[in-house]
Amino acid sequence: MKVSFPHMGNAYIPLSALLTNLGAEVLVPPRPTSRTVDMGALHAPEFVCLPFKVNLGDNLRALQMGADTLAMVSGMWACRFGYYGRVQHQILRDAGFEFDSILLGRDGLLPVYKKFQSTAGGNLLRAWVHALRAFKRKAEAMDALETSARQRRPYERDKGASSRALDEGLAMVHRAGSLREIDAARGEALALVRDVEVESGMDEPLRVAVVGEIYAVLEPSLNFDIERRLGEMGIISHPVMSVYKWLFRPLKIDTSILLAERRARRIARPYIAYVLGGEEHQTITGTINAARKGYDGVIHLYPFTCMPENICRTILPRLESEYGIPVLNLCLDEHASPTGMATRLEAFSDLMKQRRGKRATA
Amino acid sequence: MVKVGVPRALSYYRYFPLWKTLLEGVGAEVVLSRRTARGLLEDGVRHCVDDICVPVKLYFGHLMDLKDRVDRLFVSRIVSVEKCESETYTCPKLIGLPDMVKGSLDGLPPLLEFVVDVQNRSLKSSARKLAGELGAPAPVARKALAASLEQQSRYERELLRGRAPESAMETIFANGNGDSSRREREPEKAGDVTIALVGHEYLIHDPFVSHDLPGKLSRLGANTLLMSQVPAEVIAAELDRYPGISWSYEKELLGAASHFLGRPDVDGVMLVIGFACGPDSIIGEIINREVRGPESPPLTTLVLDEHTGEAGVATRVEAFVDLIRRSRKHRRPGS
Repeated sequence: MKVSFPHMGNAYIPLSALLTNLGAEVLVPPRPTSRTVDMGALHAPEFVCLPFKVNLGDNLRALQMGADTLAMVSGMWACRFGYYGRVQHQILRDAGFEFDSILLGRDGLLPVYKKFQSTAGGNLLRAWVHALRAFKRKAEAMDALETSARQRRPYERDKGASSRALDEGLAMVHRAGSLREIDAARGEALALVRDVEVESGMDEPLRVAVVGEIYAVLEPSLNFDIERRLGEMGIISHPVMSVYKWLFRPLKIDTSILLAERRARRIARPYIAYVLGGEEHQTITGTINAARKGYDGVIHLYPFTCMPENICRTILPRLESEYGIPVLNLCLDEHASPTGMATRLEAFSDLMKQRRGKRATA
Repeated sequence: MVKVGVPRALSYYRYFPLWKTLLEGVGAEVVLSRRTARGLLEDGVRHCVDDICVPVKLYFGHLMDLKDRVDRLFVSRIVSVEKCESETYTCPKLIGLPDMVKGSLDGLPPLLEFVVDVQNRSLKSSARKLAGELGAPAPVARKALAASLEQQSRYERELLRGRAPESAMETIFANGNGDSSRREREPEKAGDVTIALVGHEYLIHDPFVSHDLPGKLSRLGANTLLMSQVPAEVIAAELDRYPGISWSYEKELLGAASHFLGRPDVDGVMLVIGFACGPDSIIGEIINREVRGPESPPLTTLVLDEHTGEAGVATRVEAFVDLIRRSRKHRRPGS
């Protein structure tokens, strides 16, 4: 079985560990590029949201590499994401590809569990337990590395050093096989990031919260690696979501994630009274919290035509004035360009610096 | 009497008889916004975010039209409209509509929110809340709701007979007096082709946005079938073949499209969708790929937004009707 799945930040690291331990061969498509987006956009409906097109492009590349099984999350929500798998796989079949689908969440867990009967070899339950442990360990390592690089980046002496250390560290974690190896790789990788030389005596860097649609926030190819860009501009970014949280929220084993979700819903309720099926509560609460914590700004990322985030987009100007925090709305589609992004981020950074200067003198 | 403004957009086309009877029953005067015109739409576009679908922009335009003429603005929040085992929703924008209005428009009269969430909350409690806000006691609310549900089902019966929403409303609000003259005019000379229109009624039946699509078709000599003519049981039966959709209104689109595409007396189906409509981008694809078969009549998709020109719509509709006529001419001698 040669399994593949679309990219979502660094989620491929824990997901590969999970599937490899179940005896499947994992084909990770190359990180999405403009070519991936073009391939996806060619076959996708015209005004479906951008993540659909990127995912479809990822799947196409995986099939060209020889994948025979495609996995995707699926569900019945108010947001379109639940239908991605169904429609994408149909599009691919219509295009002449033959493959097996794993739609996680649509047919219940049992068929997915049994799918690996032939590949796991021996005790299926034991294989699953081991696979889930490796998955969790790698996800934690990935999250720790991402956080540590994010905090280091604004202070680094040699621009890009933290990102290089991060990439190297993630590769080490990705290569690690057994649980013991994963732990060793995590330690070594964290040391790599910690060893990045930093500038001393710097001014307190600007702080921004990054909110919005989850894929736009977490997938570097979609947001032109905003986290790295901000870091190298000397700005600390605080994304309200992480790949780790995204992976573990549906598993309902980490209570801190569940409590944070509930809290976010509660804080957002005066502005959005009902569940809209996306990350709207995180966007609203993230913005309010950023103001309360004294951050310098908020960046709101969303794909063109995203339904829940468009509703947030109409509400955010009100929060901006009520809470006194600037918000930069960035709408992303296949026509967005890195230059456009860079220009807007620079202007926003200047605005935040000026605001901070004014506040200091006042 | 409190003047309550109801925007002539979105859920108006589906539920206005219910809204109107209910509001009047609890002692309010209903003021409807003017019909969509260029200025009104431009007003909506100006007050709304750029990349949202045109029906929401229209809604904002209609609110702006009403705001200086009324004491309260009626805004519906339609969360779920079906009572069934699996969870169903409407479009997120309909669920978040009052939030969007509150969050982005200033200087509005106070909103009168009406929640339709039949999966979690009875219509009765929503009606009681509405009545409470207008100062009417609970028994009055109960009576008004009963009357309005009756009016609504009369309206839906009219729709099933193939009437367009506004003409059906005229009939039921005329209390049986004015409808006979209209009904005589209805069965005009039958056209030679039959085209089914599938799409949200707030697009198709807003003559400004759809450039009077139903009228255009009938002027071209085509009979039109509307989605609202398909009985609920038929749609439910069709949907058994396409399970796993949770958007109630899109289920109707899918079921109606499947019904029309399988009917021998339908010569063509037009799928009318709004640009940037989230659910339709998915459902359109499912209709095109899962529902349409090699034997289906021609299916075309018409995408509308605030920039759509009259000529563009006219050309496409004409071409579609012409193609159907031509293909029939070619097919007939052989078969």
